[in-house]
Amino acid sequence: MNAPTIWILVPIFFGLLLLFINSQRALSILGGVLATSLALIAQFVPIEEAMLVGTFSFKIDSSLTVLGRTLVILPAEGSLLALIYGATALWFFGAEASKTATRIVPIGLMITALMVASLAVEPFLFAALFIEMAILLAIPLLTSMYSPPGRGIVRFLIYQTLAMPFILLTGWLLGGVEASPGDLALAAQSASMLGLGFAFLLAIFPLYNWVPMLLEEKSPYTAGFLLWILPTITIIFGAGFLDRYSWLRSAPELIIALRFAGLLMIVTGGLFAGFQRHLGRIMAYGVIAETGFSILALSLDPKLGIPILFLLIPARALGQAVWSLSLTVIKDQVETMRFGASRGLLRITPFAGVGMIVATLSTSAFPLLAGFPARLALWEGLSRVSISASIWMGIGILGLLTSAFRSLAVISMAEEYTTWERRESLAQMLMLGLGMIGLFILGLFPQIVQYFLSELPTMFEHLGR
Amino acid sequence: MFILITILILFLTALTLLILRFFTPEFRYSWVIATVGALVGWISVFAWQAQMPIALQFSIWQPSALFFQSPSLIADGISWAFAVSLAALCLAIIITSVVRANFPSPLTWVGSLVLTSFGILAVVADNPLTLVLIWAAIDLVELVTQMRFVEDPRLSERVVIAFASRTIGILTLLWADMVSIVNGQILDFRSAQDANPQAGLYLVIAAGLRIGVLPLHLPYPSESSIRRGFGTGLRMISAASSLILLARIPPSSVASPFTPYLLMLVSFAAVYGSWMWLRAPDELTGRPYWLIGMGSLAIAAALRANPIGAAAWGCALILSGGALFLSSEQNKWMTRALFIGAWGISSLPFSLSATGWNSGGVTFWLAWPFLLVSHAMLIAGFIRHIQRTMTRTGDEDQPIWAKNVYPIGIFLLLMMVILLGLFGWDGTLQFGNWIMGLIASIATIGLLWLIPRLRILNPVRAHWVRPTNASWLEQGYQTLWGVYRQLARLSNTFTNMLEGESGIMWTLLFLALFISFFTQGTP
Repeated sequence: MNAPTIWILVPIFFGLLLLFINSQRALSILGGVLATSLALIAQFVPIEEAMLVGTFSFKIDSSLTVLGRTLVILPAEGSLLALIYGATALWFFGAEASKTATRIVPIGLMITALMVASLAVEPFLFAALFIEMAILLAIPLLTSMYSPPGRGIVRFLIYQTLAMPFILLTGWLLGGVEASPGDLALAAQSASMLGLGFAFLLAIFPLYNWVPMLLEEKSPYTAGFLLWILPTITIIFGAGFLDRYSWLRSAPELIIALRFAGLLMIVTGGLFAGFQRHLGRIMAYGVIAETGFSILALSLDPKLGIPILFLLIPARALGQAVWSLSLTVIKDQVETMRFGASRGLLRITPFAGVGMIVATLSTSAFPLLAGFPARLALWEGLSRVSISASIWMGIGILGLLTSAFRSLAVISMAEEYTTWERRESLAQMLMLGLGMIGLFILGLFPQIVQYFLSELPTMFEHLGR
Repeated sequence: MFILITILILFLTALTLLILRFFTPEFRYSWVIATVGALVGWISVFAWQAQMPIALQFSIWQPSALFFQSPSLIADGISWAFAVSLAALCLAIIITSVVRANFPSPLTWVGSLVLTSFGILAVVADNPLTLVLIWAAIDLVELVTQMRFVEDPRLSERVVIAFASRTIGILTLLWADMVSIVNGQILDFRSAQDANPQAGLYLVIAAGLRIGVLPLHLPYPSESSIRRGFGTGLRMISAASSLILLARIPPSSVASPFTPYLLMLVSFAAVYGSWMWLRAPDELTGRPYWLIGMGSLAIAAALRANPIGAAAWGCALILSGGALFLSSEQNKWMTRALFIGAWGISSLPFSLSATGWNSGGVTFWLAWPFLLVSHAMLIAGFIRHIQRTMTRTGDEDQPIWAKNVYPIGIFLLLMMVILLGLFGWDGTLQFGNWIMGLIASIATIGLLWLIPRLRILNPVRAHWVRPTNASWLEQGYQTLWGVYRQLARLSNTFTNMLEGESGIMWTLLFLALFISFFTQGTP
């Protein structure tokens, strides 16, 4: 038995099998249980260590060779897998409440496995292919025979696909840089290619206009899942690049570029969110700002930045899941998610309304909520480096908060004497309630996720030690 | 440990009431349980005196490399004064609820107990991190409560605006933390003597924003549905949780060139608040102005490097204000007793606010006449509202036990006004700046003499009080709103351009521009 089989091939196989099941509840439970099991195994069963259970002895090997390429999952990456599959389980358990389980569970499982493969594949050049496969799989997740692709999906496909040639070119050029480290022109070319590749993949400004379009057109839950898994794993993949190449790691221009890109995402995401009049688009810009926070964390001293990067992951997963589910519930009750049609929604969808606001506030670094501790650490870390950068971060946060206040004002503004008439199902209330409790727990006790996160920085040989 | 005991008593009482409310709605002794819980909670605060200062680490945030601070609590003289005031207010709210029309209302008692717990946690916060967490909790509780009661869509918008202004206060406090870090210091309330001057000013601004003084705004101009009991608790606890910050600002950290300007701004807010308070038709209509007026005096004290004075004004705001706002029945003795509340805010020697006029550092004399006039108007307004018994109802319809129990709540608060002037913390048994207290008192007597003689000093009729439409204030905010709309239009044009048919070309153009900009130099 080897780790890539367990965490890549098995989920793909089960994903294919689950395509034949039509029951929302069964899919949600099966997918959730499978993802949870994978997370538990990743956390508690060590890789490359012989284990004895009764008389039965076994060892999980770290690598698998396929067609001359190797998939390697190192022992230090166990917690990362637990985090990824744990968060995926969260999305799958919520899928029944969002009525999207028939798509998100089977296809989502395969996408997750492919993204894990992108982290595991050696040579890393092939990661671009796995990411592209995941992106192509996202198309049937977002569309169907009855719902043709809109402009948002087309742009998503174009921009994400454009990233692949850049990453492949980077890999080719980096080979040259390793052979002749003194060739500065070649290093600059490869860094530019890398930057462009990641700019497309992470939807860095101005390449993110497909994100609001996607959330306007499609189910917020499926779009939310993609907007969580793709940037989260891509950014870890990007950190791997930094870890691998010392010339890249030590280039001061790269730190400035990362800080600039991160701030641009936070500021534009925050300000555009503050001016939106569509609940889905507000989430889109919130997601963009979230990616900005992660990129900004990478720009800090790795001793601070890498733990912050990992601390951002659980808060983002939970916050985005609650936000997406809330919007899905709201979308069922209104014609459009524009402000004009969403007035007084709190009276008919109180859980979804509160869930949406709590998730927005969490993204906006509101104290008590999951997003706060990581953002506080990031803000403090940034202040030590540059006060002007921390002012820009504050402006972005202010924009995000404005969007939360405006959404709250709109959904609470019911006609006078409108009665409270809840239209959410028990499953929706349960999932949203649990999600919100989780957001508060993570906000008050960020140390509880350290069980998973404390050893994660060691997966990077240079950045995390 | 003592801090936790108090908090636990209040929380457990609230929990018991909640369980009883849902499982045995007919239970008749809820009020007794609430009163006993609040009483024991109040007494337990006195027990803090045995061990002060008490420090308590709540939870340690990990990884420690990222978090310089973790939620922690400290009970010292200043926090004790606030805590005992809040506990007394909670007890008084529950005791006086016997004469309210909605008696018994266990849910409002639960609300009062929970809010008081949060309020006490806020006043014992040891560092900005703890304080922002508790501020956030109080704001959320307040938001949920208001949303539940408010029916009018315009009022629900006001509730959100109030929540937003408080959140900006939270952000400002966090910013003070950032400014400290830039200067290589970790901002905490225990070792605040070394705090950075700029950070000190941000702390003042944070408190001002939350109270509604800086910039001047009225978070809750109208709150008809939860006015007397729970409404009083909500307003006072929220104010106390913000005012504690002023008492934590070290004198050295407000020595900034901007301090005089801030002091002038605060003086104008004080004049506005006290003038409106003086002319308010009744004490509940005037309550937002009471908070602004008294809050301004507390901020002015903090800006004069007098944190003890800021705490004294804060406690006076809670206790004297609480006694007045909870008085709803006509009772000759109680009307007379309420003059103790006026004594409490007079700044005369040995009164609760005796230290209110002290100055530790910067004295910007130009602001003093405005502050003095405001002080006099606040006392005069207080006395006028005591004497306006017409707004109170007769107690003939009340059962005999309620008639006897109700005044205890008011007397309890007034007793605390006297007690805190004599015992328990750094602001006790002080002569203070008695000259200013005396001038304010003489001015008060003058104002009281003038009120029946000068029409301008007469109270405005209730329907004329339209604080939301205070023209100049409203105009200022309308202008801001206009700027916001223009910016929104600009942002929409930009996003439409990027998302339109030619969006990809525009995107690539912007990308090329950014790359060329970036390769030219650092951002």
